[in-house]
Amino acid sequence: MNDLSDAEMILVIGSNTTEQHPLASTRIFEALDKGAELYVVDPRKIRLTDFAHGYAPIEPGTNLPMINAMIHVIIEEDLINEEFIKNRTENYEEMKESVKDCTPEWAQSISKVPADTIRQFARKYATTDKAMIIFTMGVTQQTTAVKSIRALANLAMITGHVGRPSTGINPLRGQNNVQGAGDMGALPDFLPGYQRPEWPETKEHFSKIWGDFSCLRGNNIIQMFNLIDEGIMKAAYIVGENPVLSDPDQTHTMHCLEKVPFLVVQDIFFTETAEYADVVLPAASFLEREGTYTNTDRRVQMIHKVIEPIGDSKPDWEIIAEIMKRIGMDANYEGPSDIMDELNEAAEIYGGITHDRIREVGLQWPCLTKEHPGTPILHVGEFKRGKGLFTVNDFEYIGDQRSEEYPFILTTGRVTHMYHTGTMTRKVWTLALEYPEGFVEIHTKDAEELGIKDHQPIRITSARGSIVAPALITNRINEKTLFVPFHFAESPANRLTGQNLDPIINIPALKVSAVRIEVE
Amino acid sequence: MEANRLYKLNRDKLDQVLDIWNENSSVYIPVGKGRDIQLLPLGEGERTEDYINLTLPVKEMVFEQKEGLFKWTRDEEGIHVEGLAHQHSKDRILFGVRACDTYGVAYTDRFYLGEFPDPNYKSRRTETTIVAVNCLRAGEHCFCTSVGTGVFSTVGHDLALTPFDSHYLVEVGTPKGQGLIDRAQTFFTETDEGMLKEKNNLMARVEESFPLKMDLTNLWDDMAKTFNADFWLDEAHACIGCTGCTNVCPTCTCFNVVEENTDEDHGQRVRYWDSCQIDHFTRNAEHHNPRDAVSRVRYRIYDKLKYIEERFGYKGCSGCGRCTDVCPTYISIIDIIGKIQEAARENPEPPAIHQITKIRHEIMDREIKSQNGLFSPDVATITRVKQETPEIKRLFMKYDDPELHKNYEHKGQFFQVTVFGEGEVPLSIPYGPEMTDELVFDFKNVGSVTEKLFQMKEGDKVGLRGPYGRAFPYESLKGRNLIFIGSGVAMAPLRTIIEPVMSNHADFKQVYVMASALRYEKLLYKEEMLEWAKVPNLTVKYALKYPTDKVDAYSGYVNDLLPDLDLDWTETTALLCASPERIKKLARDLMDLGMKPTNILVTLETHMRCGAGKCGHCKVGSHYMCVDGPVFNYEEMMALPNEY
Repeated sequence: MNDLSDAEMILVIGSNTTEQHPLASTRIFEALDKGAELYVVDPRKIRLTDFAHGYAPIEPGTNLPMINAMIHVIIEEDLINEEFIKNRTENYEEMKESVKDCTPEWAQSISKVPADTIRQFARKYATTDKAMIIFTMGVTQQTTAVKSIRALANLAMITGHVGRPSTGINPLRGQNNVQGAGDMGALPDFLPGYQRPEWPETKEHFSKIWGDFSCLRGNNIIQMFNLIDEGIMKAAYIVGENPVLSDPDQTHTMHCLEKVPFLVVQDIFFTETAEYADVVLPAASFLEREGTYTNTDRRVQMIHKVIEPIGDSKPDWEIIAEIMKRIGMDANYEGPSDIMDELNEAAEIYGGITHDRIREVGLQWPCLTKEHPGTPILHVGEFKRGKGLFTVNDFEYIGDQRSEEYPFILTTGRVTHMYHTGTMTRKVWTLALEYPEGFVEIHTKDAEELGIKDHQPIRITSARGSIVAPALITNRINEKTLFVPFHFAESPANRLTGQNLDPIINIPALKVSAVRIEVE
Repeated sequence: MEANRLYKLNRDKLDQVLDIWNENSSVYIPVGKGRDIQLLPLGEGERTEDYINLTLPVKEMVFEQKEGLFKWTRDEEGIHVEGLAHQHSKDRILFGVRACDTYGVAYTDRFYLGEFPDPNYKSRRTETTIVAVNCLRAGEHCFCTSVGTGVFSTVGHDLALTPFDSHYLVEVGTPKGQGLIDRAQTFFTETDEGMLKEKNNLMARVEESFPLKMDLTNLWDDMAKTFNADFWLDEAHACIGCTGCTNVCPTCTCFNVVEENTDEDHGQRVRYWDSCQIDHFTRNAEHHNPRDAVSRVRYRIYDKLKYIEERFGYKGCSGCGRCTDVCPTYISIIDIIGKIQEAARENPEPPAIHQITKIRHEIMDREIKSQNGLFSPDVATITRVKQETPEIKRLFMKYDDPELHKNYEHKGQFFQVTVFGEGEVPLSIPYGPEMTDELVFDFKNVGSVTEKLFQMKEGDKVGLRGPYGRAFPYESLKGRNLIFIGSGVAMAPLRTIIEPVMSNHADFKQVYVMASALRYEKLLYKEEMLEWAKVPNLTVKYALKYPTDKVDAYSGYVNDLLPDLDLDWTETTALLCASPERIKKLARDLMDLGMKPTNILVTLETHMRCGAGKCGHCKVGSHYMCVDGPVFNYEEMMALPNEY
């Protein structure tokens, strides 16, 4: 993270950093103070644009053409880092060929970003020594998620902006411990430490620790709900997640939760999802338990218990261990440090991280042994796979687009004072007062055309469903584009979003839904 | 008082002294490292001397982030209220406080213990003794020497220690501090003023070492010339409303009140620190917010650098630099001072009238005779309910303790009315002094509390605090022409004064009541107005948007009626209640007719919470609408920043 403050150029794409990652954005402000330049790609004039040297008001869902066009410009104007390409990468020529026709003018026709702006961004990025890319869900929650990230990797590699301080492509994590959860294998396609179940050595390795187990790839949340709908999946155990508000296509989600024969929900509050549960397990909050969080920096840090768990609640690990015991498994953990000890053995990247070592200051994985100092920067000297692979990422439209029936594109996100589905933040008076209700951001011109007044409730309808929320008229959003925060159960943005998925990893395109407005 | 006695204490005896003090009190000491320094009870951590400052100002020990104000219970007999001002088994001795924080406490003492003493603060503060330890080095953003609050403590401490190589120089600030010396007197050696010279030399060396030194001599002049400077927009763009700056400020005193209910018969009202750096702080019903992003950010700076000092005579910024330390977007009061000075030098505006007009509104010497302290309401029972209009109701009520009616003096402009378990709203007093055993309120159903009030019926219980605020100056109106202008529910505050004028109409010359609304049915006091119109020197004029056959009414704005009134305008006082925009339009027309702005009286109903100038929500410039107002004359109104 500290590298950010030493960057000379920061390209922020699909990240409302100031409001969603205020402490990461502090580093951006530090960099600006030292003379760095800031470039922002976003359909909304987010707060950062007030400080930006360049702003690309992009059409939601069209990052890929813009990135490919930036690569096109850099190649065409010979701003590439030849040495880096030669020594550290492969497949350059094929990638080069694939962006031959991706001119800025072509990208403008899709992304609405002026061709000259694309050129400006490309030149600045290519010609700055320490140029860093920051991205979040504005890149990933689209049908072109994987391709866009691969294209960003292409962009970083042709210019040699990888493996050095203050460079790289840096996803900011949306939750304090989403990195840690992924590290621990709370993903359908990985075991702890990012080991694929289908690799032969994986089963062998984990069987030594856990005994024999099936070692199969799981289903992601979208697939699981579909399996429930098809009657194949018969039980669900949801821990610390509120899919009624956070998952796409709320009507479908509710239908599946209604339908699943057995549902367990474990959370610190009684959530909208818990309404559907057969069994609710009360979990303890972060103030009531020990353990670790792994942040966006891959830094594993301790959390310390401040108060005893309230009521019948227990730390999540304890609940899970109790369930393991009841179904006849070994779960002899005295506490979270025992689990960390097991993880040392299970996941190479956590090999040397122990509670004793991180009690004061965290460590960044990979940390292979008890003596290893941790790894602040990845891919120094060599990529994990050896040579960096250039990929071909052709753009095609998948999913929602504007139509006569649905002339607006809806994008979703968060506001500063709310977190995710509001399970916690809507219970805090001062945060709740700051944003007592949801809203729909709409451009002044569109509002005028439709005769909408500020704060007037309007109905937004997509092919999936319909919500009502007060209009917030602003010129800080693209025309024919709407923004709805997804925190609010009364106006749930995810009733409108759909199951348009990225074909490679199935992430739903929460940032792009075609909708229409009805004035009530 | 032996306030200036001097002692020496060997540094290696300090821990023994702290132990002795800890026998009958709880001693708090600085614990931690780097920037993470807390005051913890002796024994809960190792005492450190290696720190610049406490992470949070010591204010948090006397004005806690959350404090109970009162609790209430409902049973068959009614509702019982009990004040919750803190009581502690042991008093606290806070050791190791820096000069910027002792200064902060000196200010918060003035703020909370001055007019309308705050019972919570008072009880906690009485039980607190503060031992300052003077700084020998500056932090990155320290600038106490520039504002003049440091580097060594001069106020707010009971004892002040200055560290020398082998000993501390101990200065007694108060009898409480002398009490501490007496408790461990064998360790303290009295010394003479010769030591002060050494202290001053040391102080000069420390001051010299400060990296930041600003000349703030002309700051107020500069601020008057930069109120609308461009750089404020940049600051506003940066602020994300995290409220970090106000949470770490030694002089921030604002709070919000929240109802925390156990069940429908038990609950308490608590207060939490609140912050002017957040949108809802000044947001009124129906989304109106008198402060936008720019005025929000600017307000904090003006309050700290000017408004607090203007009103209370203490620096509002003690130069601790914490707000600059914590801001995630690098908003820095230090940089802003630089920008103010630069803009005043290079691009000055004509000085803003609200920044150069010296109006010091004196808070009236008035004690609130509540049974349970300033913030605890007294219980009253609703005796009658009258539906005034479809949206407006009138409630009649009597205190459960009839003695309270005797205490009540007809001063003030409004009461704070509590619906137990729901909250509190300020409501104007629409009646005169002749009502001695009953209270009456008119209100419109606009929010959650008024919604509950709207449902109430005879026999229901509410809580009352008040009366608060500066009322219309009845006595000074005698012998003059009067014109009352109010639209819709805005007639209620005016009725406070219309009633006594009615009863004593011979004391006045010509009186006009100008009633305006969209339609006749929306008017408040329709029947009363018909009665008022029977008074010989009183005329009621109606201005309605839609015609009616009930009364003779003009279709259009009140303004249009003014020129035709048969009044000697120099002998007239106008009393207005409307939105600030409407007030300005009316005042302009009245002045065109020859009225002096001092003869136009207005009432500014803003975002009031506590009613007593403590919670900070209704502060405009250096003025509190709830105690300085809500009644102002137009000249005074124009001398307020346009943030009401």
